[in-house]
Amino acid sequence: MNVRTNLPEDDTNSGAPGIQRIIAILWPSFLTSGIATGLFFTLFDPHELMMLSGHLEISRTAAYSIGFFSFWLLTASTCALTCYFLRPCERVPGHK
Amino acid sequence: MSGNQASTVASKTAPSAANSAEDAVYAKHRKVYPREVHGLFATLRTVGMVVLLGLFYGVAWLSWDGHQAVLLDLPARKFYVFGLTFWPQDFFYFAWLLVIAALTLFYVTALAGRLWCGYACPQTVWTEIFLWIEQKIEGSRNQQIKRDQAPMSFAKFRVKATKHFIWIVFSLYTGFTFVGYFTPIRELSAELMNFNLGPWETFWILFYGFATYGNAGWMREQVCIYMCPYARFQSAMFDRDTLVIAYDEKRGEPRGSRKKGVDPKEMGLGDCVDCTLCVQVCPTGIDIRDGLQYQCIGCAACIDVCDQVMDKMGYPKGLVRYTTEHAMQGVKTKVLRPRTIMYTVLLVALTAGLVYAISQRTPLQLDVIRDRNSLYRETNEGLVENVYTLKVINMDEKPHSYNLNVSGLEGLKLKTPKTEITVPSGEVLNLPVSVSVDPIVLKRAANEIEFTISAKDEPELKHTEKARFLGPVMGH
Repeated sequence: MNVRTNLPEDDTNSGAPGIQRIIAILWPSFLTSGIATGLFFTLFDPHELMMLSGHLEISRTAAYSIGFFSFWLLTASTCALTCYFLRPCERVPGHK
Repeated sequence: MSGNQASTVASKTAPSAANSAEDAVYAKHRKVYPREVHGLFATLRTVGMVVLLGLFYGVAWLSWDGHQAVLLDLPARKFYVFGLTFWPQDFFYFAWLLVIAALTLFYVTALAGRLWCGYACPQTVWTEIFLWIEQKIEGSRNQQIKRDQAPMSFAKFRVKATKHFIWIVFSLYTGFTFVGYFTPIRELSAELMNFNLGPWETFWILFYGFATYGNAGWMREQVCIYMCPYARFQSAMFDRDTLVIAYDEKRGEPRGSRKKGVDPKEMGLGDCVDCTLCVQVCPTGIDIRDGLQYQCIGCAACIDVCDQVMDKMGYPKGLVRYTTEHAMQGVKTKVLRPRTIMYTVLLVALTAGLVYAISQRTPLQLDVIRDRNSLYRETNEGLVENVYTLKVINMDEKPHSYNLNVSGLEGLKLKTPKTEITVPSGEVLNLPVSVSVDPIVLKRAANEIEFTISAKDEPELKHTEKARFLGPVMGH
């Protein structure tokens, strides 16, 4: 049987409201993706990017918005992975 | 750090402040019902709220020289701030401004603690207005607690629904105003009236409206406690001379209730009557008597309410007051100290630098984009030709005609489709040009050339941009 160790009780599933973990993933990623979007679209005009790549024509507002959510997806995944790896490993059965 | 301070300021009453702070991060959330408060600092907070919200909702509608006074026109990639127009190329100034803003925040924090949190932070300001709406509809703190404990009834539902309806309408208007800083707000309102808002505008109004409703209506103090990075690191800027809100433990303890007119000394009591009003008014639900805590946003509601109680009891005011750790210990507070002097010098230098840089800004920009489809071409005359697209950006407030020159190789010939290069104010001209040269002068496959553009009426208004000229290498 797999046994989890070293987890403070509050940190597993008991009293900790899940909403706080969700905030811990969504909120820092929101901040950094905002910065990333600002920097990226300062350097690159979506119109020119689309002209170069020959992709479909969409408005700049749409490109900014899609860009922002792509960044957010990326940074949120990073935060989620960090959260996941912060939890101690499960022990292999039969080993100490 | 906040834990350290908590234990130094009031170590006796809060021996495990650090531990309790850690526990608090994962504690189950209890709704905080802040009691309405009146007094000097409450008035200041209201004034701050009215001014700041007035600016936010009002400035969007101001016009300047035929355009919206403050408009970060993302679709057009132009940023209007009153008389100034900024471009993505000016990002540097914006970054500089952000550094100044951050330093100002550190400076104020070192001097006066969490003034920002208590009076100016959007989270505080919007929470304040949401609390005000809540109190107007749901009544006082006690009425709210009673209603929340009562089972659902038609009357309860009606009150709650009214509150949420008003909150949501207010939030949506906030979202609309926010988007109005990025898309011209008059166009936006016309589109809204005609029900033909763009999909992304609609989306962002809803998104920001939802964030306002969630943060100011539901999350409130939890944003400060769990989400705000500044709240976590602000204590690093604190020292013993920083203005904080503190309970005078020496004067207040031992706390206890007593009848009016009784001499507390005879009863062996301090000045704190333990009325718990300071806890009831606290928007983050802490007890200031436990010492300085990182949850304290420095709103001073507890000062106002405690002063009223002290007045009623006939005791001197200031049992809870703005003070410094040094003052509490009877040491003189030093305003001028290395930290504040350093911040002052840095801030003055950076601000002066920014003002100078903006005043010296050349309102002309030239971008050179090479034609990506071909490296070079040989003309009928045996010359090597490169094709570029020049983007001439006139950032000045008036139109200009420009001279264009190219240099860097012997005998460079420049061909433009138009002889006259005129760009209206605030516009971008895309100018395809071709540059040709006798291949005999080419020493390398890639050669550096320079385009220089200068205004005909103001020769000092010029910009030079480097480009690469490609060609075959002749002879070795």
